[in-house]
Amino acid sequence: MLPLAMLKYLGKRMLLLFITLVLAVYLTIIVANAGGLIDNILKSQIKYDIVSSLVRLPTWSELTEEEQKRIIDERFQMAIQAKGLDKPFIERTFIYLIDALTLRLGRALFITSASGSKNVGDIILERLPQTVLLFTTGTILYSIIGLILGLYMAKHPGGFFDKAFSIFAIVTQVIPPWFFGILFIMLFAYYLRLTPFGGMVSAPPPNNPIGYILDVIYHMALPLFAWIFSLFGAWAYIARNLMVQIAEEDFVIAAKAKGLSENILMRRYVLRPSLPPVVTVISLSLISSWQGAIITETVFNWPGLGTLFFQAISSLDAPVVIGLTVIYAYLLVITVLILDLIYSVLDPRIRARR
Amino acid sequence: MNVPREFQEMTNAILRSKAGIFGLSIIIIMIILSTLVLIYVPFNVAKEWNNPMFWQRNPRLALPNWVNIFLEKKLPETIIVANESFRKYSYYLETAGLKYNVLEGKFSYEYQDFPSELRLILYVDAERILVEIKWLQPSGINVTLWKGFLKGGLNSIYISREKEVYEYIEDSLKRFNISSSMIMRPEIILFMDNNPSHVNPTPVNGVYMLKIVSISSNPMDNVDAELIIYGKVFGLAGTDDKRRDIFVGLVWGAPIALSFGLIAALATSFLQTFIGSLSAWYGGLIDEFIQRVTDVYMILPFLPILITISIVYRIDIWTLLFIVVGLSVFGGATKTARSMTLQIMTEQYIEAAISYGASRKRILFLYILPRLLPYTMANMVLSVPSYVFLEAALSVLGLGDPMMPTWGKIISDAYSGGAVVHGLWWWILLPSALIILTAISFAFIGLALDKVVNPRLRER
Repeated sequence: MLPLAMLKYLGKRMLLLFITLVLAVYLTIIVANAGGLIDNILKSQIKYDIVSSLVRLPTWSELTEEEQKRIIDERFQMAIQAKGLDKPFIERTFIYLIDALTLRLGRALFITSASGSKNVGDIILERLPQTVLLFTTGTILYSIIGLILGLYMAKHPGGFFDKAFSIFAIVTQVIPPWFFGILFIMLFAYYLRLTPFGGMVSAPPPNNPIGYILDVIYHMALPLFAWIFSLFGAWAYIARNLMVQIAEEDFVIAAKAKGLSENILMRRYVLRPSLPPVVTVISLSLISSWQGAIITETVFNWPGLGTLFFQAISSLDAPVVIGLTVIYAYLLVITVLILDLIYSVLDPRIRARR
Repeated sequence: MNVPREFQEMTNAILRSKAGIFGLSIIIIMIILSTLVLIYVPFNVAKEWNNPMFWQRNPRLALPNWVNIFLEKKLPETIIVANESFRKYSYYLETAGLKYNVLEGKFSYEYQDFPSELRLILYVDAERILVEIKWLQPSGINVTLWKGFLKGGLNSIYISREKEVYEYIEDSLKRFNISSSMIMRPEIILFMDNNPSHVNPTPVNGVYMLKIVSISSNPMDNVDAELIIYGKVFGLAGTDDKRRDIFVGLVWGAPIALSFGLIAALATSFLQTFIGSLSAWYGGLIDEFIQRVTDVYMILPFLPILITISIVYRIDIWTLLFIVVGLSVFGGATKTARSMTLQIMTEQYIEAAISYGASRKRILFLYILPRLLPYTMANMVLSVPSYVFLEAALSVLGLGDPMMPTWGKIISDAYSGGAVVHGLWWWILLPSALIILTAISFAFIGLALDKVVNPRLRER
């Protein structure tokens, strides 16, 4: 049974997240449609649909050109009215908003999915698993490595390792993963020939499943390394500072005075209260990392959402760009929601409140 | 509260730590460099950067020239034999009614590697003229490069590319009983010793001569020439695939990167702090509103929205800056500033100010905000690197400023030009090194400032 206070907290957060989602999507739509971009895309797609369905009719070629034009025009006007495209600007943006929120993202201009679909939703869904695979693995790995290092540093604050690693953390923290990516590709792929330059599988891919998995891991190693290298330092530094601070609290000192063992002290008195702020930090860093993923994937040519974003930008495929922004809004909101859930379980104050 | 004391505290904090001094000195050097560049670079870089004609006398993809210090075999610099250095004479054959114009250009070649390209530019002041171009090696071997009619105007002969030139060279070499069985590029054949069986050919050092003889019936006809022997090293930072001097791009990128990063950081941190303080000080509905908006802002997909904006409107770097600031009016610093203000509000001097009737505005601006100054400055300094990298990231995505050479643009050009996969290290490492250096120096200053700001206040 979930306590009422917790439900209240979660309800409040969900409402906020929903508003964020709507606002993000609406902002994108306003931005994209202020120059009439979405209008034009939709209209040309409707026209294309009408013409291609009419051409298939056997009697179509028997009509004169003028009649053809008249019929196309008639149907076009009807479709536009049915879709509400003749309404004023503000009203139209709300129609698009509902379309986008329900993930009816329309059709791409140039990009097609591997299965041949031109549907933006299909194209994005095809790329999503690769992105989730790379960045969930990366995030889990760097959190664990960072936490362990942070704990170690917190045990010996002021030591040589602590000082040296703090400098390392500050230096790596300001440099984004994609930047390390470029440098690492040069070092590990070009000079040392240890890793591939990019991509997810070799061409042609191995046909037995074990070989395939190994091949993916081989390709994933360098982007993962760049990702972890750029982020684990800062993360260890934050974890260290938290632990050192909590270790100075009165209740920890009291527990120490009671004669509790180092292990219990660490687990129950230091680690436990540090978890809620840790989750907050994770959630903030995840938000920025989802977006950093766009360029990191592009640099490593990893076939995920980021590379798709880059392709859409290069070919000026506006429906895909807008669709991806919507998907990113969803991803961020879902990430934050999951972390909120974890947070509400971890932080007893939420359960106790009012 | 007086502002100077806060500043003094911060300056002391920076100057007392090694990291702070290191960071500050690098930034000062960069700022001096930037101002000097803006004053002294003799041409409009932003205008010429995308103009291929401007850079045509530079070699393609040349290494920086300081690599020669580390190399045993010295790589050649570009040698330009300008029109003025050609020895000119002419004679008139009355019996045939023909005028002979002779141009002799000499240069000495003292490098242990071959040039990268050869190009001859001929300015023909005639309608049509017969031209014969000869190449004399120090050993005395005489090679005809080309023979034929040229039209008036500017004629550019790419000696190292044109097939016709290659055939002429092969023909001439046969006359000296040298058969070039190997297919070699003209810039190698023309500079190597006359034994093509060498596995590793080396260039002959000495004085070379290019002789251009033009024949026409009109005594007024004239030919001017310029010979460019493109080297393999150039300038302090080498060149890119469009022959542009990367050094020029790098020094021009410095003021752009610094001002972009500093303005964005300054605007966002001051706005965020101010709004956070406002939120706490006025409380009530204003507080609730600002806090909720901040919550929403912190989850907005910032980069995708920025990308959508720049793809729809094709903006330049300063408009981009404006939008970046607009998208970061609320943020993490709003929350921190709010909690700091809440703490400051409980202090006695604020109570005293209220009791003697100071206006709310006066208390906020004169008694509270100055106290937040160290935090704001630290926050600002720490966020400069992320904006410098943001510009670079947008450039890599192809959304940067279309005209201006920025560090990000150079990296992006290098990346798409295959610098990573072909190991053209200077093209990518030099701009990267500058970005990293800038980022690290700001991070170090931020670290020094962090000691002034109570770290405990930074948690939510």
